[in-house]
Amino acid sequence: MNLDFSQLVPYIPFILEGIWATLKLAGISIIIGFILGTLLALCKITKLPLLKGFADAYTSMFRGTPLILQLMIIYFAIPQLTGYDISAFLSAVLAFGLNSAAYVSEIIRAGILAVDRGQTEAAEALGVPYKQMMINIILPQALKNILPALMNEFITLTKESAIVSVISYMDLMRRAQIVGSELYRNFEPLLFAGLIYWVMVFILTQIGRLIERRLRHSD
Amino acid sequence: MIKAAGITKNFGKNSVLKNVSTTINRGEVVAVIGPSGSGKSTFLRCLNLLEQPTSGEIWINDQAITDRKTNKLEVRKQIGMVFQHFHLFPHMTVLENVTYAPKKVKKMKSIDAEAKAKGLIAKVGLSDKMNTYPSRLSGGQKQRVAIARALAMEPEIMLFDEPTSALDPEMVKEVLDVMKDLVDTGMTMVIVTHEMNFAREVADRILFLDDGKLMEEGDPGTFFSQPKTDRAKDFLAKIL
Repeated sequence: MNLDFSQLVPYIPFILEGIWATLKLAGISIIIGFILGTLLALCKITKLPLLKGFADAYTSMFRGTPLILQLMIIYFAIPQLTGYDISAFLSAVLAFGLNSAAYVSEIIRAGILAVDRGQTEAAEALGVPYKQMMINIILPQALKNILPALMNEFITLTKESAIVSVISYMDLMRRAQIVGSELYRNFEPLLFAGLIYWVMVFILTQIGRLIERRLRHSD
Repeated sequence: MIKAAGITKNFGKNSVLKNVSTTINRGEVVAVIGPSGSGKSTFLRCLNLLEQPTSGEIWINDQAITDRKTNKLEVRKQIGMVFQHFHLFPHMTVLENVTYAPKKVKKMKSIDAEAKAKGLIAKVGLSDKMNTYPSRLSGGQKQRVAIARALAMEPEIMLFDEPTSALDPEMVKEVLDVMKDLVDTGMTMVIVTHEMNFAREVADRILFLDDGKLMEEGDPGTFFSQPKTDRAKDFLAKIL
């Protein structure tokens, strides 16, 4: 075993630039996934069959096919179909955001259903309109219960964002690979990238715990 | 004034209310009693459209609220409701629970809503719990907050769905006392209850439901001493 990290040193800034790329991608995807996922969850619990059908079909499609396939369809197939030369970043954000929405919508749906039916009735009896009831009464309670599951989804997304290296988006993973092939040594750059991923997830976990603790102040 | 005309409610094949008709006048206090499963709560829940009757009409003042064109939210603004299990909003403090609907539904200014809420919370004896979350309150305290929350909307009518059934025995009185104060203000009240002494004491009229039918109605004195129907006699014999 001959590990030599000294050769890696000149490439460290190059790899570190990937942190920003990964964070940007994961962050925007999480936001898209969360907003779209919430809307889909609301569609799933309505009595309107059209919206419900759409949301169910959406979830089925994005959960039922590999993420890497969705990514490649968006990146390689959209230009062929429309002539629009989609950037790697936009493809990645779309694929991850749309995919994550499917999972998030299931988590949020379960969270909404777990809120006591009496809460809805109490709000209705006070004359609170549906939208305000959802925003002020039901969703805050649902989110509190599903926060651990939601954080898990965000952590998975952050790590799995590494597969964007297949469309040559210059994230942490891709940069580690490039350095690996420059040096003819793969272990050091990959290990280094792994460490950075772990640190990012660790920080994300801590943020999750912090939010969780703040939400529990009413217990 | 509330007028129910031929209210029937079916859940699937199960008929829970059968052709119930009655009129409740302004300022009247009506206690709805009967065995469990007799449709008391369903009747109450029809009055603010938490349940849509299968057939029949309900009039609040001069408005047929069972008409499909009626805006349910507008109807409910005039009718306060108190539930067996309180249903306070757990993520809001006592004060926030009471100010929420006036602010969001009535668009009252924060400062006015809070002044009003503080008055109501004081009236139910919980001024020292203003910034407490519901999880820190006893059942009796929760129910008193729930009453204050409903009153904050300045309803014309108050509905109570077994307000003391989920309480420990020593907390029943504090809730009933608050309700008695409310009776004294002349509020129109419909109360589903198992507290027979309370019903006898404060109600102007008793409605006795059994198996979804309004079997008997009358003033408490007559009803409790000389019930007309056998069902009512049976029921009273079991519980008194």
